[in-house]
Amino acid sequence: MFAPYIEYARKAFAREATYRIELIAEIGSLVLRVYLLRSLWTALYAHNAAPTGLPLHSMVTYTTVALLMSLVLEVDGTRVIREKLREGGIAVDLMKPIVVPFAYFSDGIGQTLLHAAAIVPSLLFALLLVRIDVPSLPVLAIFFCSFALGYGVNFFVNFLMNGVAFWTLETFGLQLIVRWISDLLSGQILPLSFFPGWFGRAVFALPFAAIYSTPLLVYVGIIPPAKWAAALAVQATWLAVTAGASYLLWRAASRRVVVQGG
Amino acid sequence: MPLIVTRDLRKVFRSAKRFPGALGALRGLFSPVYEDRVAVTGLSMEIERGEFIGYIGPNGAGKSTTIKMLTGILVPSGGEVEVAGIVPHRKRRENARNIGVVFGQRTQLYWDLPLVDSFELLRAIYGIPQDRYRRSLDAFVELLEMGDFLRTPVRQLSLGQRMRGDFAAAMLHEPPILYLDEPTIGLDVVAKEAIRTFVSRVNREQGTTIVLTTHDLADVERLCRRIVLIDHGRAIFDGPIERIKNEYGRERTLVVRFTETTSAPAIPGARLESLEGLTARFVFDRATQRVDRLVREVSDRYSVEDIAIEEPELEGIIRHIYTQGYAGEERSA
Repeated sequence: MFAPYIEYARKAFAREATYRIELIAEIGSLVLRVYLLRSLWTALYAHNAAPTGLPLHSMVTYTTVALLMSLVLEVDGTRVIREKLREGGIAVDLMKPIVVPFAYFSDGIGQTLLHAAAIVPSLLFALLLVRIDVPSLPVLAIFFCSFALGYGVNFFVNFLMNGVAFWTLETFGLQLIVRWISDLLSGQILPLSFFPGWFGRAVFALPFAAIYSTPLLVYVGIIPPAKWAAALAVQATWLAVTAGASYLLWRAASRRVVVQGG
Repeated sequence: MPLIVTRDLRKVFRSAKRFPGALGALRGLFSPVYEDRVAVTGLSMEIERGEFIGYIGPNGAGKSTTIKMLTGILVPSGGEVEVAGIVPHRKRRENARNIGVVFGQRTQLYWDLPLVDSFELLRAIYGIPQDRYRRSLDAFVELLEMGDFLRTPVRQLSLGQRMRGDFAAAMLHEPPILYLDEPTIGLDVVAKEAIRTFVSRVNREQGTTIVLTTHDLADVERLCRRIVLIDHGRAIFDGPIERIKNEYGRERTLVVRFTETTSAPAIPGARLESLEGLTARFVFDRATQRVDRLVREVSDRYSVEDIAIEEPELEGIIRHIYTQGYAGEERSA
């Protein structure tokens, strides 16, 4: 019953592994960004008082871990939907006895696993340049739970973006905008607690915060153990909402599948 | 009970009308006007188990739309469709187990991975037991001569090799029904012949029901006993190839090669079509003129080196129908 989907993941893993140079370049650029951001924050902290109780070493830890997470979170596992819609390959998949979104989900998992493997060398290289804090075991455990939930939210946000292609075929512009918004509001670039006033409160109410911000704030200790349950519950809610929306989108889409080149 | 049945099948596509220019695009965005395009209408046909059908028609006639409804990925706008007792669009996955599909213009193989990897994925998808998988893969490797490139990444294969891979991929689960959509497009003569031999063998030996969509009428002539001709979304002919040839191909050509230069040769009952050098071509109606009389007349009148009679080719007939319309009795079902 799951055999086809496990195989989809394995093939995606093998496929991504054939792009060796791309992966090496990705690791290289990541290590470079770790170094640049450390320099940036060090310079900024030297001229200003530390904001919101986040000392420099926590800030460097935050950005480094965020970059490592991005290795996995920037994998757009469902971009196949968009590509297959444009090229008509989705027709071939629909002619198979499979649940097509599950197949694409598995493909995404396969891609993610390969990029997750790249975290280890990236981390080792990064540690040559920066020192990051290592929290206690319970914090790490919660961080990974929260990361997994964030992965799910990210996956379905991407799914929804790519699913728009069912109606428009072209989603590049939309994706670019959502990517910019998401980079800023997810806490990937800087902690959301930096945003002032009502805006600072509003960003926490968006699904993007569930992607990077929650796991990272758990990691650096801004979310204390007492608030873990609540933070993860918010993530789980977003996961349910985006997954539900994805389901509805797929149902509507499969009713109007008009394959290109008909 | 036929294997594939369609009754009054219909598909209408609704699309937003486009207006020219930037302002037009804006207008289309805010007050869209919809246009209906009838892709298939009133299509009724029955296909028996083991048949090999040529499903032909000009571009945009509705062939692909029909195939998509038969595979369950398009929902019909009206009428009924049943494939092996299943309504495809209601039970797409169940239907998928009964069918194999080959598209000449796209591949289902993993581009970056060795060919055999795609087969392994299909084994998992269809839940083919390991020993049966081994057996049928070995058979395909031998039949389609894939041994040399089984472990080559698909992107490095020639089109002919890739097509052979696609055929094996479509048939690994031994489906009783095979849909072929222009499977020989772009292939050289040798590769074409290999594919034709293969599908004809599959049809004969395994009794696989095959629906072939193609523009290569040599494929159809060589492989199919029956053709369904579709134009403007309607089936305008459904029957044996011989019948369409008889109805349309009443004209024969008598090719005469004279021993000496002959000006304006003529035979009663035949029309001189062309005269090039020593060779003259006469067209006559097979139903009203007897061949033996024409041959006797021409050899009585002239000094003749060689005589041949040409039958019309399916291609010529189909071209005639595409451009002139079908004048025969319209098939009503």
